[in-house]
Amino acid sequence: MSGPALSITGLQAGLGELQILKGVDLEVPFGEVHALMGPNGSGKSTLCHVLMGKPEYHASGSARVGGTDVLGLPVDERARLGLFEAFQYPVEVPGVTLDDLMGEIAQAAGSGDGFGDRMAAAVAELGMDRFLERPVNEGLSGGEKKRSEIFQLMSMAPKVAILDEIDSGLDIDAVREVAAAVEAMRSPALGVLLITHYSRILRYVTPDRVHVMMAGRIVRSGGPELAEELEAKGYDAIAADLGIDLSEPEDDDGADFLAGL
Amino acid sequence: MLPLTQDTAARAATGLPEPVRARIEHGAALYEKMPMPDPRGEDWRYVELGMDLDDAALPEAPGAPMPGEGVVAAALGEVAGRALSVDGFTVEASGDGLQALHDAGAAAWEAAGRAGIPADLDRFAAAHHAFGRDGVRVDVPAGTAVGAPYLIEVQAVTPGSLVLPRIVVAAGDGAEAAVVVHYRSPDGVALTAVPHVEVGGGANARVSVTVVQTWGDQTTAISQHHHVAGRDGAVELAETGLGGRFARLHLTVDLDGPGADARVLGLYFGDRQQTLDYRAFVNHNAPNTTSDMFLKGAVGDTARSVFTGLIRIEPAGQKTNAHQTNRNLVLSDGAEAHSVPNLEILANDVRCGHGSAVGPLDAEQRYYLMSRGLDRAAADRLQVKGFFEEVLTRYRHQQLEPPLRQAAMAKYAGIIGGSAT
Ligand SMILES: Nc1ncnc2c1ncn2[C@@H]1O[C@H](COP(=O)(O)OP(=O)(O)OP(=O)(O)O)[C@@H](O)[C@H]1O
Ligand SMILES: [Mg+2]
Repeated sequence: MSGPALSITGLQAGLGELQILKGVDLEVPFGEVHALMGPNGSGKSTLCHVLMGKPEYHASGSARVGGTDVLGLPVDERARLGLFEAFQYPVEVPGVTLDDLMGEIAQAAGSGDGFGDRMAAAVAELGMDRFLERPVNEGLSGGEKKRSEIFQLMSMAPKVAILDEIDSGLDIDAVREVAAAVEAMRSPALGVLLITHYSRILRYVTPDRVHVMMAGRIVRSGGPELAEELEAKGYDAIAADLGIDLSEPEDDDGADFLAGL
Repeated sequence: MLPLTQDTAARAATGLPEPVRARIEHGAALYEKMPMPDPRGEDWRYVELGMDLDDAALPEAPGAPMPGEGVVAAALGEVAGRALSVDGFTVEASGDGLQALHDAGAAAWEAAGRAGIPADLDRFAAAHHAFGRDGVRVDVPAGTAVGAPYLIEVQAVTPGSLVLPRIVVAAGDGAEAAVVVHYRSPDGVALTAVPHVEVGGGANARVSVTVVQTWGDQTTAISQHHHVAGRDGAVELAETGLGGRFARLHLTVDLDGPGADARVLGLYFGDRQQTLDYRAFVNHNAPNTTSDMFLKGAVGDTARSVFTGLIRIEPAGQKTNAHQTNRNLVLSDGAEAHSVPNLEILANDVRCGHGSAVGPLDAEQRYYLMSRGLDRAAADRLQVKGFFEEVLTRYRHQQLEPPLRQAAMAKYAGIIGGSAT
């Protein structure tokens, strides 16, 4: 694989008048796992949805998945290009069993993709048997929903996996299990962006890089030790160090980021 | 064919037993007097009937049955009895406890307990009383549980005809039976059908009726039902409404005995210029009665659907537990769904709930499914399938699930690519 798995430059995005991402630059090389951390409301899930192409967001800049700029493409095309988002809040699909959904995913992926084998392995590894005949995400506990997201991820084998708080709502054993699954997926064909609030999961997955998002920007990046620093000091201290006022409602220097493109 | 006159009613009555003749005379007098429904009346709100009964005529003999086995007959498998009604004439009837009305005695014409559609319900009901002269009766003796379902196929084939089949199900104390009714008529043939379905169960009786409605595209169908449950008895109606130009189901359920239970399931799908019109009245007339109505429908193209449901709890209906849910998908800009659930509660110690929704496909579900690589069409199709699944999986006769699912999804396939929103 040449070039990074995911490469985001000057990404600005928002909803209507509301500007949420104010110039995001981020690169995840193939074979690496990056952690993205940041306070509530800083724009992490927005980044996920903008990358995946959720219709209501407007976006500018560029976001390349395996070298292809995905901004402007329909959601399903981005998925087929190898982008996977594990949702922070997986959506319930009443009346559709997980097995039905997996069948449709297999069909969309096309034959010869190896989907069936990967799915069978993932069913066994995650103990998904008992969820296959249940409606997608309906009536599942928080942790079970996350497990189902990981299951779909493992079956789909994307190029870029964005895991939005895959560890929230998981019990201690499940965090370890999910982390182990992520580590096991580490491969030269995959780049992972792991969004988390807790350094707990980072005990089991060692990120190559840690990025901190505040108010719609990546404000610091560093090695795994950055997560420990965050844990010890909290976001306020980091913000103060950087001279960022987290209570500041809007700023208008987004244009400077655009100009840099 | 015969015009809908007093004379015709009198001719229809000849040879029938005396009490039946009285019923016919009463109906004929009402039919003459009553106007066509007032489009401004509450009962006909949201719909345009677009036909006049006086333009229809009564067939003197049944036309040729439609070719081929119906989807319901094909899927149902073993039955306890079978009847075929064509143009209102029962041309076949076999099985224990099942008989054609025309060659049965006066007793067969009697109502099943209190179940019966009053002639003055509307002009269609009056016409049925005046001109109906045949039907199918199922009697289940007290204490008898009939395992396999009875299948009653009702066809209407003659252009311009008024078809008046009557189905009576009488279940004695502790009896159990299931009846499956399949309505069909050819596409392109303009005709009117007014079936009457009357179900009366004694104490502890359990009677389920499953209706599959695949009328042809020029059929006006006004179905009128009355289901009555006695003490600790249960009545169930599951209807799938797919066909017809204008198809109405007027349903009255009376829970007369303490502990009686009613369950109403519905799945409907309107496309092109169809109107599918549901009027459901569930009356809790005794204490500790329970009811659950669950109907889901979709409309596409310029189709229209109406659900008006009324749960009425009489002062005697203490400790009633009643629910009604009606959800509608509106799949095209030109389609319309109306959902009007109502409660009328005259007792003070009851549990009642109702839910109603009308809207397009869910954008969050679409986004989630597309994020897994499904294109928009596949994502939406899956969502529609899931929408109906919640009804289909509650159907008593699981063997009907696949063909009904397929029929609903075929209708969906027909409307997408149009003005789907
Ligand atoms: N549909 C919406 N309408 C209005 N504001 C929104 C909407 N979606 C997101 N926002 C706002 O955008 C900002 C970023 O939200 P986002 O969900 O991306 O944060 P997050 O970093 O994922 O937070 P968390 O850690 O709580 O998950 C927040 O201020 C949020 O209120
Ligand atoms: Mg979030």
